[in-house]
Order: sequence, then structure tokens, then C-alpha cells
Amino acid sequence: MVFAISRAAPGDPVSLSMGPGGQMDAERAVNVRETRMKLYGLDKPIHVQYANWLRRVVRLDFGDSIKHHRPVSELIKEKLPITLILNIIAFVIIYAVSLPLGVLTAVQHRQFFDRVSSIVLFMLWSLPVMWIGQMLIGYFCGPTFKSWFPPAGLSSNYADQLPFFPWLADRLWHLVLPVLCLTYTGFAYLTKQVRAGMLDNLRADYVRTARAKGLSNIVVIFRHAFRNSIIPVITIMATLLPAMLGGSVIIERIFSIPGMGLLAFEAVTTRDYNVVMAVATIGGVLNLFGLLLADIAYAVADPRISFENAV
Amino acid sequence: MSKQSQEKSKWGTSYGELVWREFSKSWLARFCLGFIFFLFAVAVFAPFLANDKPFAIRIDEQLHFPIFRNLKVSDYCIFLAAIFGYLQVLLIRRNHKRVDPSIRPAILWRQICINSSIVVIGTILILIFVPRRLDATDYKALIASGKATNAVFAPIPYGYDRTNLKLREQPPSRQHWLGTDDVGADVLCRLLHGSRISLSVGFVAVGISAVIGVIAGAILGYFGGKVDFIGMRVVEIMMAIPVFFLIITIVAFFPRSLLNIMIIIGITSWTSYARFIRAEFFKLRKQDFVQAAISLGLPLRSILFRHMLPNGIAPVLVNVTFGIAGAIFIEAALSFLGFGVAPPTPSWGQMLSLGVSTTGRFLWWLSLFPGLAIFLTVLAYNLVGESLRDAIDPKLRIQ
Repeated sequence: MVFAISRAAPGDPVSLSMGPGGQMDAERAVNVRETRMKLYGLDKPIHVQYANWLRRVVRLDFGDSIKHHRPVSELIKEKLPITLILNIIAFVIIYAVSLPLGVLTAVQHRQFFDRVSSIVLFMLWSLPVMWIGQMLIGYFCGPTFKSWFPPAGLSSNYADQLPFFPWLADRLWHLVLPVLCLTYTGFAYLTKQVRAGMLDNLRADYVRTARAKGLSNIVVIFRHAFRNSIIPVITIMATLLPAMLGGSVIIERIFSIPGMGLLAFEAVTTRDYNVVMAVATIGGVLNLFGLLLADIAYAVADPRISFENAV
Repeated sequence: MSKQSQEKSKWGTSYGELVWREFSKSWLARFCLGFIFFLFAVAVFAPFLANDKPFAIRIDEQLHFPIFRNLKVSDYCIFLAAIFGYLQVLLIRRNHKRVDPSIRPAILWRQICINSSIVVIGTILILIFVPRRLDATDYKALIASGKATNAVFAPIPYGYDRTNLKLREQPPSRQHWLGTDDVGADVLCRLLHGSRISLSVGFVAVGISAVIGVIAGAILGYFGGKVDFIGMRVVEIMMAIPVFFLIITIVAFFPRSLLNIMIIIGITSWTSYARFIRAEFFKLRKQDFVQAAISLGLPLRSILFRHMLPNGIAPVLVNVTFGIAGAIFIEAALSFLGFGVAPPTPSWGQMLSLGVSTTGRFLWWLSLFPGLAIFLTVLAYNLVGESLRDAIDPKLRIQ
């Protein structure tokens, strides 16, 4: 607990968003240098190149994609929502499943349900995403076995002509498997953490006090124990987000979903440096946004953390 | 009562023994540890398990041993490392019986230093002196033509880089237990050889990140204050970067090689070690033995790594096992996307990516077996880490 709070406390949003900015710059600088060395040789000093690049990035001008012959920002504007939708759905599902599941397993500590679920979750956690993705496609989408789900893409060929609800159903039908792949690792991990946190708190003295006061079991669990064990869960949000962005590269590649991940993958394989750098930058910015959300969530969840007198 | 057990009871139980006892209570943990050792054995002896060169063969009444002539330089290096690794395990056991617990860490440290330096020197010597041979003789053709007799082959008589387009994409059969891949190489053989990549990536990458993380965390935790504040911002920043994106970006700019992948994974994943060590050092800093070390005027290096680190290393060990699992995972993902080692060097992720052939056919044996290999390895490491964490946690021990 103390450790979690000490991690959480000094993160005031301003310094957080300023700090990572600086680091991303360093990373960008490396990228820029590598790129320029490859493309133009070392004709200008690095800081000049870097300043130029930064000036353009602020205006959201990432240059042109070499492969697509279109401005990179246009490409990204097209692809970003797809990845975001995918990740947000996955994120909601992860939290919706793992919070109740974690509480339940903690309450039933060392009983049958707890044991079974922890074994299953542990195995889920160790399953490689690409393997599962491929097996799912192979068994449920292919001509070889069952073809319940579409193997690739986000919508069927004729989807544009459909009215809204069939279109939505079509879209959801396409999203089932990718979202499944994107979520299972996350909720296995998160459930474990929720369970551990809840166990810690259920053993604590104040829970015994609450029980002794004669409060009902539900109130004790949700008011007292759960509220206190939610902080590490929020911390995980900050680490889960980068992992999911990375995972979406693999998933978008397997399911050929035209999102940021696939864009990044293709850019890397075709050495489309402008796109690579743009995607890396956007990924970093998205992450910062996630961290900011996590920080705000801290303050909402735990009144002990306040940003006014943090460092 | 024998003399040895008397001495043992005199020494009491050391922390390591306590943790080991807790750890080995669970059969699952022991099983997983055994499985990991088994994997290492497979990786070390891969050329003897799966090779298209026979152990012994009689050609023109003369006995030849082609398999030993064809060992590569890397094979020799791996054997050397394996021998000394095993020696180290034996030494640890011996220490436990003979050496007083108070000086055990120092002796262990010295042994590790000596052993690893021998391995490094040996590797360099091997690299210099062992010639690179290329034996393209097809011994099976020799046997078929009747020129050679009495051949003794490895259990899986195929080379990992064999191409045989007549036998492309064969499902499992009696000849090829796990089928063949897109160029006709035996999948089982490539699996065995591929274990080397996965295991070594896990070890080296985590080694790099653990060293960086421990040093950074030690400095942050010991000094605290401003150093800590700035350092922790850096750590938070590193954590905020989507690692996989970063790795892909870097891989795009650097040439493909195993070492590069190891280094990249190592450099990008040191933050968790730094955080754990920092938290431990915060606790340790105020303790008496550290104060004593400071007041004795010991150099900083000695205080940090001789006195504090052995007391704060336990959570890092847990993290190391998880980290190895993660590194294997990342390597497999990279190879799957095609950024891994270049073929024909086998790696599990790359084999997995062949599961959907270029014509869009789903080849289940090419997906199932490499995926299973990755899964089991990662699962074993994770389970060992989990059991280790439980063993270290004093709260659970009391119950």
C-alpha cells in the first residue's frame, strides 16, 4: 500500500506531461538522426534537423508517406480511430470483467472457485497473443474447420450500403475475435492484481473493525476493502495501456485490421520513416493521455492523494 | 547424529534455505523448474538430438564421426557455458554443506566471477582457434548408394536448415513427427534448435535490464531526495513509452541480429527492476548495518553492492523470472512479425508465422507446436516466478 501511494503521489499532471515530452524529444532526436543519416547523409547538424522536425510536428505535419504518396497526418487521421475503438472496447471489457472477478476470487479465497479461476487466469496470462489469434482464425474463420467469424478486416465488402444497425452488427461481428485476443491477457493480469489487493485489505484490521461494527458483508467488501484496493488497479492502467498499444500491432497484423498497428508494421517493413516516426510520436502522446487519466482517477478514487501539495 | 547435520543445526537456517524450502513445497513449482532445466538441456544438446549428420558412419571401411566434425563454433561456446553453468550449480550445493552462511554470498560471488570469466575467455579462444567447417556431404545419399554402412543417426535425423521442396508443408507423419514447414524442413528439429534462441534471448535481455535497473535503482534508493525525484521522473517516462512500438521502431533502423534484439529488449525493460530495488533500498537505508558501513567509511560501491544489495535482491529475483518470460514473449512476437533473426536460423515466433501459408491455407501443425512451445516455456517461467514470490513473502510463511 505504502509503495503504491508513494508511486502515485508525486505524479502531478503538469510535470508528468512536461517530463515525458522531454524524453520523447530525445527519442525523436535519435529517430531523426537515424532517418536523416539514411536518407540524406549527415548534411546538417543534428540540432538544426531536430528543431526543424519539431517545428513541423507541432503543426501536425509529419511529411509525406513514401509508400502511399500522401501526407502522413491524413493517413493517421484515417487509422487512429480504428485502433482507438479497438483498444477502448478492450479496455472497458478488461475492467468490466476483472474487477468483479477479482473481488469474487478474493472473497472466496482458497475455495474451489478461487483455485480454478486462478489457474485458468494464469494460463491465459501466459498464452502468446499471436498464437491464439492464429489458432482462432484457423479454427473459426477458415475453410478447414468452422467458419463462424470473418478472418480479416473490419467490415464486409458491402458494408457501406447497409443501414446503421446491420452495419453495426457486421462491425461487431468482425470485432469479436480481435477484441477477445486483445483482452484476455489484460484481464488475467488485472484480476490477479485486484485479487491480491483485495486479499491484503480483507486481512487488514479496519476490515475486522467494520465487521465487528456489524456492517453487512457487502458493505464491508465494497465500501471498505474494495475502495482501498483500487489504487494499484489504477496504477496498472498506466502500464496496461502501452502493452495494449503494442499488442494491437500484432493483432492488427493477424486480423488485417487497417489501424495504427498495421500502419506501423507496414511502415517498418517498407522503411517508410516518416510514418514510423509519426506513429511512434502519436503512440507516446496517447500514452501520456492515458497516464493523465490515471492521475485524475487517483484523485477521484483516493482523497488522500492531492495534487496541490505534491512536491 | 552425524557431524554434518550437527554443523548444519549450529548454523541455523539461512534465508536462501528458507525460501528454497517454501518454494519446493509446491510440486508445481518444482515441476516447472525441472521443465526449465529440461528445456536448457534440450537447447544445449540440440545438435545431438536433431542433426542430419550421423554420429558415426563407416565409409570405405573407415569410421567417421561427422556430427562432431560439424559442430559449429556457437555449439562449442554453448557447451562450454553449459558445463560451467552446471559446475556452478554443483558448487552452490557444496557451499551449502561446507561453508558458513555468513561468508556464503562472498564465496558465491567469487565463484560466479571466476566461472564466467573462464567462459568468456574460452569463448574468445574458441572463436579464434576452432575452424569453421562446412561439410555438405549428404550422408543419407551415401548410405542409399551403398558406399557407407553402419550409420548411427541422431533421434531426429534432419538438419534445421535443410530444404526439400518435395516434402513441403507435410502434416505430421511417422517420418516427420511434427510435420514439415514451407521449405520442407522438419518442424520438430527446428523447434529443438529454436529453443536456443528463445532461452538465450530471455537470459541475456533480462541480464542487461537487471544490471541497468539494479544500478539505477540502487543509486536512486540510496541517495533519495533530488536524485531520486529526477530519476523517478525518468523511470516514469520510460514506463510511459509503449515499449513494443519503440522496439519495432528501433528494429526498423538497426540491422536484424539476435544481439540487437537482446540489447533492445534489455534497454527498454529495466524500469521495473529499478523501481523494486529503489523501494527496497529506501527501507534498508535506515537500518543499522548500513549506517555502520557508512560510518566505517567504506566506498560507495561497497556499501551499495556488498552490504545493501544482498539484502534487497529477493524481489528482483522474482521479477527476473517474469522478465525472462516477457522477453521470450517479445522475441517471439518480433520474429512473428518478421523482425527477428534471419532465416534459416530457427526461432519459435518465426515458425509460428508460417502457420498461415502464402496461399492463405491454415497449417495447424505449424501453428500449434511452436505456439505450444512458447506457451509452455512462458508458463513455466511465470509459475516459477509466482511460487518464488509466494516463498519470499513473509506474510504467507507465517500462516
